[in-house]
Amino acid sequence: MKKLFSGAGGILAGLLVAFVFFGSSSLGAEEQALSSENKSNAEAVYVPHGEHDEYYLINSGGHSGQLFVYGVPSMRHIRTIPVFTPDPATGYGFDKESKEMLGGYTWGDLHHPALSETNGDYDGNFLFATDVANNRVAAIDLEDFHTVDILEVPNIGGPHCAAFVTENTEYIFLPTRFSLPFDTDYASLDDYSEEFRGVMSAVTFDQESKEFDVAYQVALPPWSYDKARAGKRDSSDWAVISTYNTEEATTNLEINASQADRDYIVLFNWKNLEERVANGEYEEFNGEKMIYPEKHKGDIYLVPVAKSPHGIDVSPDGKYFIASGKLAPAMTVFSFEKAFEAIENEDFSGERNGLPVLNYDSVMEREVDPPGALGPLHTQFDERGNAYTTMFISSEVVKWEYETGEVIDRHDVYYSPGHLVTPHGDTADPQGKYLVSLNKIAKDNFLSVGPSHPESMDLFDISGDEMRHLMSVPVNPEPHYGQMVHRDVINPFHVYEMDESNPNAVYDQNDTRIERDGDNVTVYGISMRSKFIFDAASERPDVIEVNEGDTVTMHITNTDFDQDIVHGLGIMDYDLNFEQMPGQTKTLEFVADKAGVFPIYCTNFCSALHQEMTGYLMVKPKE
Amino acid sequence: MSKKMSFQSATSLFIAAGLLIITIFLPWWGMKFYAPQYQEGLNIIVYPYKLAGEIDIVNSLNHYIGMAQFSEESFPELQFLPWIIAGLALLIVFTGLLRKMSLLYGLIGLFILGGILGIYDIRRWLVSFGTDLDPMAPITVDPFVPPIIGENTIANFVTNSYFSYGSFLLLLVFLLLLFPLWKERHQ
Ligand SMILES: [Cu+2]
Repeated sequence: MKKLFSGAGGILAGLLVAFVFFGSSSLGAEEQALSSENKSNAEAVYVPHGEHDEYYLINSGGHSGQLFVYGVPSMRHIRTIPVFTPDPATGYGFDKESKEMLGGYTWGDLHHPALSETNGDYDGNFLFATDVANNRVAAIDLEDFHTVDILEVPNIGGPHCAAFVTENTEYIFLPTRFSLPFDTDYASLDDYSEEFRGVMSAVTFDQESKEFDVAYQVALPPWSYDKARAGKRDSSDWAVISTYNTEEATTNLEINASQADRDYIVLFNWKNLEERVANGEYEEFNGEKMIYPEKHKGDIYLVPVAKSPHGIDVSPDGKYFIASGKLAPAMTVFSFEKAFEAIENEDFSGERNGLPVLNYDSVMEREVDPPGALGPLHTQFDERGNAYTTMFISSEVVKWEYETGEVIDRHDVYYSPGHLVTPHGDTADPQGKYLVSLNKIAKDNFLSVGPSHPESMDLFDISGDEMRHLMSVPVNPEPHYGQMVHRDVINPFHVYEMDESNPNAVYDQNDTRIERDGDNVTVYGISMRSKFIFDAASERPDVIEVNEGDTVTMHITNTDFDQDIVHGLGIMDYDLNFEQMPGQTKTLEFVADKAGVFPIYCTNFCSALHQEMTGYLMVKPKE
Repeated sequence: MSKKMSFQSATSLFIAAGLLIITIFLPWWGMKFYAPQYQEGLNIIVYPYKLAGEIDIVNSLNHYIGMAQFSEESFPELQFLPWIIAGLALLIVFTGLLRKMSLLYGLIGLFILGGILGIYDIRRWLVSFGTDLDPMAPITVDPFVPPIIGENTIANFVTNSYFSYGSFLLLLVFLLLLFPLWKERHQ
């Protein structure tokens, strides 16, 4: 009995020793490996002072109406660009020009940013974005990262499916999420199929005058248009659009728009449409040139696709367009070449709303269905033949070869990715170095700030076979899509040049003046370190005297032609503030409808004597 | 009677005259200002006929200590200096044509005098700008005189003064003026 005990004791002791030694040492090795992996990940994203990130990431800000600029790989937020929403920090929407550009709107839903392209690759000139909520399209000049033009497009219902540009930025296409009554302002939803249309706009942008124009519109069937891409290389005259709700449901779309097994991809030739417009084959409609595809056949075709696809993306070689299933757990690869052949041979399986439907089997190249991967949404590319697709439901990124359909790697993201971005990842020349997934849910990834969570981004190094997760970062709502572009492509300037032809600009203190014409008071002033000069000849050069009810126009020029010396001008109790960047002239217009003495002060810290940079608006009460 | 100089000596003078004309278009002297916020440095570069560099920025910073504004108008020298240089070049050509050593001695004397006057002039301006500060200035600093060559620290700025290409070329011109003295020496 004793022997038995001591034997058992010996075994126990042996187990204990084994556990203590081997158990703990193997745990230590794991921890060590983890910590060294963390270290090397940290090194991969660290950008020391004095050096810059390699890539710009310009993210959509969704319903904030803004754009956010990040550096990759550090993922540092560099700048916010107000586009569809006023921004007191920069005075955007306060000064005359930007106020007029915003047209009274106080919010926008900025969706998919698109960089201008030359030969199918980013040229770094402009960035375009649409406002789904208020039917606007905006251009951001990448020389100064400021919004230069906003166009409100008529006849359309939410350009969610935009912006996408053609190979040389000939057009920015704006298909829409909603269809609207077409011939009348109001129509019953009972007559949806007959009375509604989903109008797509072809918009041009003149890079010299920096102005948009609507070239023509196409009255597409009353469906929802989701995502779109222009072709590349051999397919560059064509473009593809994904659709849902071809059921034409008008209520409870969650259920009713998910009934048909198949929706469509709209395949159209924009060169043909352009020619049609040039030949006068369109009808004037509410001030625009409208093309009716059922009347003018031969430019627009439908390709059946598994139900309610979301993203549609074109491979860098321009050979394939890939639809992501959303509700059907597969990516479907279609061949442009086969589609062209089917069109040539009139290989149609039928017609829908007057548009020929191509035979699915003739155009489909392959269906890629990674086991367990659910909710494919969007695809980006590298230059090595790989596609990267986000899986919203299974919360992962799948790397796969688009020529073979072979799945190469899969990696979790945290959590529920919508779009993803690779450098130049939607162009004909992708640079497969990094991948950023733009996630909809962050949960407990970051320090808690209560029920309002940030969105999140995951950064991957994709230069190797396996995707390496480098880090997760919080991001402002809501990144629908982004553009990642190499820093060498972007060349911003720092100081506005003197423009002697600008009648509102004053560069010499001695030219500052306040002019009165009836009830209109015009100030030609300057801001400089550290004073305002509105009228150099006056006893108090930094004071503006007006009468209650006067219309005041202030043209203010920042005469500090020095990098990063920005002045702001705020007027107390008048709800007014605007900034002047170095060398810039801006105009503020308002009615002095409140009598009193209102301090004016510089709102953008500019110098050691910034606090002293003040003046007064004296509004004399009416007699 | 003064000796006539050789063809080589005259050539040396012609080259000197040509180089002297070229110096008009080159910077003679400069000052560079460094500060924590201006790692790249701000320049004041003096040509015989103009100022270059980030003059406006330097002015907008200097006004805090009450320094007078730099501008081309504040230096009358810039109006007539090019003409003096051109005149001197003409005299050199003249001397080369006449090949008169006595004239050359006078020329060298004039050149040395000009050099001394030039340096005195720079010094005068440095004293004037550094010591004649506006008493109303928001920031009070002790009067200072930056050196003609080398470093100086004033508030958050470190300045570095230096002679530039034009001055180096002037030195070469001077050596070319001296060349005939060596060439025509009594053997
Ligand atoms: Cu200021």
